[in-house]
Amino acid sequence: MQRLSKLLVVLSLIAALALAACTPPAAPAGEQATGGGQAAGGVTMSFWTRDSNQAQVRALVDAWNESHPNKIEITVIPASEYMTKVGASVGAGAPPDLMAVDLIYVPQFAAASQLTDITDLAKGLPYFEQLSPSHVRLATYDGKIFGLPFNAEGSYLMYNKGLFEQAGLDPENPPKTWGEIADAAAKIRALGDDIYGFYFSGSCAGCNAFTFMPLIWASGGDVLSDDGSTATLTDPNVAAALEFYRQMWADDLIPPGAQADTGTDFANAFTTGKIGMVGTGAFAINNIKTNFPEIEFGATFLPGAEGGASSFAGGDSIAIPAGSKYPNEAFEFIQWATSDEVQLEYYAKLNNLPVRTDLAENEYFAADPRLTVAAEAMAMGKTPYTVVYNQLFNDPNGPWLKMIQTAVFDGRVEEAVNTAQEEFTKILSGQ
Amino acid sequence: MATASSVIVKPARRGATLSQQRMIAGFLFVLPAVLFTLAMFIFPLIMTGWMSLHNWPLLGQATFLGLQNYVDMMNDRQFWASLWFTTQYTLLVTPPIFILAFVLALLVNTALRGVGVFRTIYFIPVVIGLGTSSLLWVWLLNDRVGIINGILLDLNLIQRPIIWLVDKNLAMFAIIVSIVWKTVGFSMILLLAGMQAIPDELYQAAEVDGASYWQRLTHIMMPLLRSTFALALVLSVIGSYLAFDQFYIMTRGGPQNQTITAVYWIFNNSFTYYKLGYGAALSIVLLVILGVLSIIQLRVLRDETTY
Repeated sequence: MQRLSKLLVVLSLIAALALAACTPPAAPAGEQATGGGQAAGGVTMSFWTRDSNQAQVRALVDAWNESHPNKIEITVIPASEYMTKVGASVGAGAPPDLMAVDLIYVPQFAAASQLTDITDLAKGLPYFEQLSPSHVRLATYDGKIFGLPFNAEGSYLMYNKGLFEQAGLDPENPPKTWGEIADAAAKIRALGDDIYGFYFSGSCAGCNAFTFMPLIWASGGDVLSDDGSTATLTDPNVAAALEFYRQMWADDLIPPGAQADTGTDFANAFTTGKIGMVGTGAFAINNIKTNFPEIEFGATFLPGAEGGASSFAGGDSIAIPAGSKYPNEAFEFIQWATSDEVQLEYYAKLNNLPVRTDLAENEYFAADPRLTVAAEAMAMGKTPYTVVYNQLFNDPNGPWLKMIQTAVFDGRVEEAVNTAQEEFTKILSGQ
Repeated sequence: MATASSVIVKPARRGATLSQQRMIAGFLFVLPAVLFTLAMFIFPLIMTGWMSLHNWPLLGQATFLGLQNYVDMMNDRQFWASLWFTTQYTLLVTPPIFILAFVLALLVNTALRGVGVFRTIYFIPVVIGLGTSSLLWVWLLNDRVGIINGILLDLNLIQRPIIWLVDKNLAMFAIIVSIVWKTVGFSMILLLAGMQAIPDELYQAAEVDGASYWQRLTHIMMPLLRSTFALALVLSVIGSYLAFDQFYIMTRGGPQNQTITAVYWIFNNSFTYYKLGYGAALSIVLLVILGVLSIIQLRVLRDETTY
């Protein structure tokens, strides 16, 4: 009996040791937040980013590593798992030294005190006022700044110039109101059985935040109050925008398959050359230029009902997690990445939008006005500010997508809006 | 626990040093497995149980709630709807898997030359990742480039492409077809192994007595396959109850949230709403349900045949 209990004790000790070995070590307390004291030259910072824009980030980090003594080691994480991974690492006390994160999540991180306050450093940048306003607004929490723009996206309306011409429309004079979009779509639809005027991913929540919400904004409406505390879906502009889509759907101007598209076809539908117009982002320009050179396309702003223009300003912000071992060195990278030279040579030159509004017009974009449209769209764009963004807008089973589907595909606009307003309110009030 | 240790201790009391040494050696042999189970199963399970008693956000501090998460679950309509939907799905997907697996197993249970090729072909989909196969089916079912609509159109069976994944029943049908294709090979292999374990003498004796093929099948093979059926059924039902990937990728829970399975709802709570504590509580309940279901199945199909 005694031997056995001894053995059990030993066993459980070994088990405990094995478990301890499995958990990552917490960052040594002394190194936190005072990273500036490190000896110059030769720290290696860990940097997490999502896969969506990894080519750009890799090129950027390679350029930094070649020219700076402090190195950056990059970890690319699938976008859909990003929050979970970061959350787990923060919980385990081992966050990265630097991270790029979808700008919509910054308020949530800031609210949970997981980011380093960089207000003074940020405001010290000579071009602070020119940084993407949406990024800065979302990175501001309680009057303090917790992140800066790192990667920029702006939604706009992409249209097929070839189809416009065939349909007798002026390819240099794209639609400027919803009515003009619907008219153009109808004319293009008449070109053939498998040619459709308009496309949107009907089962993709995030895609429609990006491309549908600007229609509401451009008409003067909104989905949330400015401080993000209340839902404003009963704003008549929301119902009007839904009705605009519903009518195009009922008129068969949108391919039937759009209803089932969970986002897999978001970037592909237009590249078939059989879609007249689609709301999309700057990322699509490079893709089509490289892989579908035969498609002649133009870019214009997403309009409101009777004119106006708006955009969803998206992309990533870059922030220093609260447990970063090298906050000062990390900020040096941020400063470098937002500088004129890098913004032009590693962003604009590679068909990526600069994160600074003063660089929207540049020599590289002058050669392709479509990029300038995207950059200007980003500069005027808005982004909802809320700590429950995922639940409200990105959840494929959430109220945002349900509202669009009920209104557009089932034709019940009023019911859709009222239900969504109720569900938004419930989520915003913490249930 | 007390009974277990007293049983183990008995040989030690006899004072035989050799047997004690053997016991220690035995422990050392099972040690890796014990550690693995502790680290990979017991510890996470305890952790999940502990988390389920908390409000546990992804970022920030957890707060103790007691049994509140379990109380909330009672009023969580989507959870019960998901559980019911998962049950329907399991009831619909299990019979086709079983019938087809049984037929395939019968077909490949011969000594004919080249039969291994067929066994391999039927088994191949099993080794494809479920996520990959789901994505494959999304494109096979696509209205614009999908081959399934293409074939149906070419055969003039339909006039317009079918949008499979926007209607609950069509989507369910499509997913069941994809899952049967994906998993039937596994059940087939299990049943085949069971069939091959049955001694030939039994069939020969029956043949001598004049039993037909059908009689041999129903009176010898099927009864003797009881325990194999039980294993295959339990594994299949557990797999169906844990369905997630195919719905996450093929329907995203749509249309109108009608295809959200139990695990999908756990995923949503944990990784979309970041309510990890509530997700943990749902997981515990699902574990209990699965445990009960498995016990029932094993009881019903308990093997009392000996030969």
